[in-house]
Amino acid sequence: MLWKRQIPILIVAVIGSITLFGWFINEPNIKSFVDDDATQWFDILASFAIFLGGFNLLKMQLQKIFRRQRGWQYSIFAIAGFFLAITAGFFYKGNPDVAWGTHVTADGTLFKWIFTYMFAPLQATMFALLAFFVASASYRAFRIRNFEATLLLVSGIIIMIGRVPLGSFISSWFILYLLVLIGGITVNSFFKNKQYTAIFVIVGIIVVTAAGSSLGWPLDQPGILYLPYLQEWIYKYPNVAGARSIMMGIGMGIFATSIRYILGIEKSYIGE
Amino acid sequence: MKFLTDLILKMGTVDRRWIFLVIALVVIIPLFFPLGLPIRATATTQYVYDTIDALPHGSKVLVSCEYGPSTKPEIHPMVLSVMRHLFKNKHKVYVTCLWPDGQFLASDALNLVARDEYGLTYGEDYVLLGFRPGNEAVVKGIVSDLRKLYTIDAKGTKITEIPMMEGVNRFEDFDFLFSASAGYPGTIEWVQYAVDPTNVPMSTGTTSIQVNDVMPYVSAGQIQGILAGMPGAAEYEALIGVPGIGTSGMDAQSIAHLVIVLFIVLGNIGYFIERNRSKKY
Repeated sequence: MLWKRQIPILIVAVIGSITLFGWFINEPNIKSFVDDDATQWFDILASFAIFLGGFNLLKMQLQKIFRRQRGWQYSIFAIAGFFLAITAGFFYKGNPDVAWGTHVTADGTLFKWIFTYMFAPLQATMFALLAFFVASASYRAFRIRNFEATLLLVSGIIIMIGRVPLGSFISSWFILYLLVLIGGITVNSFFKNKQYTAIFVIVGIIVVTAAGSSLGWPLDQPGILYLPYLQEWIYKYPNVAGARSIMMGIGMGIFATSIRYILGIEKSYIGE
Repeated sequence: MKFLTDLILKMGTVDRRWIFLVIALVVIIPLFFPLGLPIRATATTQYVYDTIDALPHGSKVLVSCEYGPSTKPEIHPMVLSVMRHLFKNKHKVYVTCLWPDGQFLASDALNLVARDEYGLTYGEDYVLLGFRPGNEAVVKGIVSDLRKLYTIDAKGTKITEIPMMEGVNRFEDFDFLFSASAGYPGTIEWVQYAVDPTNVPMSTGTTSIQVNDVMPYVSAGQIQGILAGMPGAAEYEALIGVPGIGTSGMDAQSIAHLVIVLFIVLGNIGYFIERNRSKKY
């Protein structure tokens, strides 16, 4: 029990404390440990983790094949790919002129070939499929059900159009006309009176047209309605405010969890 | 009117493969027949350009590649453009990778720009230090003692035998950092573990989806500008006057975004028609 419980907790508590307080104590030995030794320890431990990962992958995929679980045929490809990569990495360079080590990125080697002609296209394909699913999902699921959804939808559309060159072609005046029409829909749904709606829309259109004519229809004026400026504003202010609060929350969470580890309260890493 | 509403409702139940086909067409057609939409640099892209342009000639610049093939269309054009800008201004470029696949793409970028376009010498004008596992531990290692972490470069040459590595021992020896990042570990780790403790200036290029996370650091002044996704890459290409795959991709992205917005609007019109009808009954 001592080796399985108390000793690991003690190691985590001591190393965790030194690493944490190393930031605040100006002592060369502690600083050297935090900056150099601890990071090297991490590298060494991370290197061992690759073996665990490899064996785990093999175990899971082999189990799937032997038990004839659903989709077991794919596991054959997974294992074949695993051994192909190991062969290309450790046993067969494919180009005798290239030294071991550099064969990973050098042209003409099997490993580079696997990366260029198998790994890269497959990964790119997986990512490219997202565009199709985003389009399909946005058509079927992105609905204005409440105020929050409306806000999300409107800001999403502004960002999507404002970020691309096409957005700079859309005049602020066009957005103003759109706003007049949206205002008309709001007036209609509120008063349920066609006359009020017609008056609102006609007056709105006349006002916008008059203002536009007098100012010479500048594409980016009024700036508040020009999509490229508007998307920049959304990125800079509402987005930053939201992102900062999330980051602060995460930071507090990490701090609290670290303290729990150091004090031995959190023991999930020893299976408790 | 009834015909129109019925049509919109019918479109709502259309097989999704038709939507896939429309998206495929609006992406592919502009790639073959470019519209040549003009590209306007946003303030954050201009900031990156100005910062790099203001570096004194011969500055030591660290470029870190944290991306893979999946995010290559967004990040790689940025790396190419930034490298063109750096080599044009006669800076020394050191490349590290926090992602294993980043090393392949960094190698391709250096071969194309440094070797083929500018005819520069490896080890004297540019060096690929390569990938090291360990995520933020690698960043911390570069900050404290680069030579402990990198004893050899990506080609297997000893660091001590590379001429341009003379006087480069830790992160503070660099004049500038550009992080081309598609996620973790990446830009945020560079800010937290390298830039904040040392005050070495940095700029970044990220995927569009990552901009939200990185933007607070830009507005706080910890990062000197950001190239945001493919539009950021295209804007940088326009600034250095060398159009590339970022620029050609912008037409396709513009039309695809417009079509997705149209899908959203159509879907919502259908939703409201359906809701009104169900209220009536």
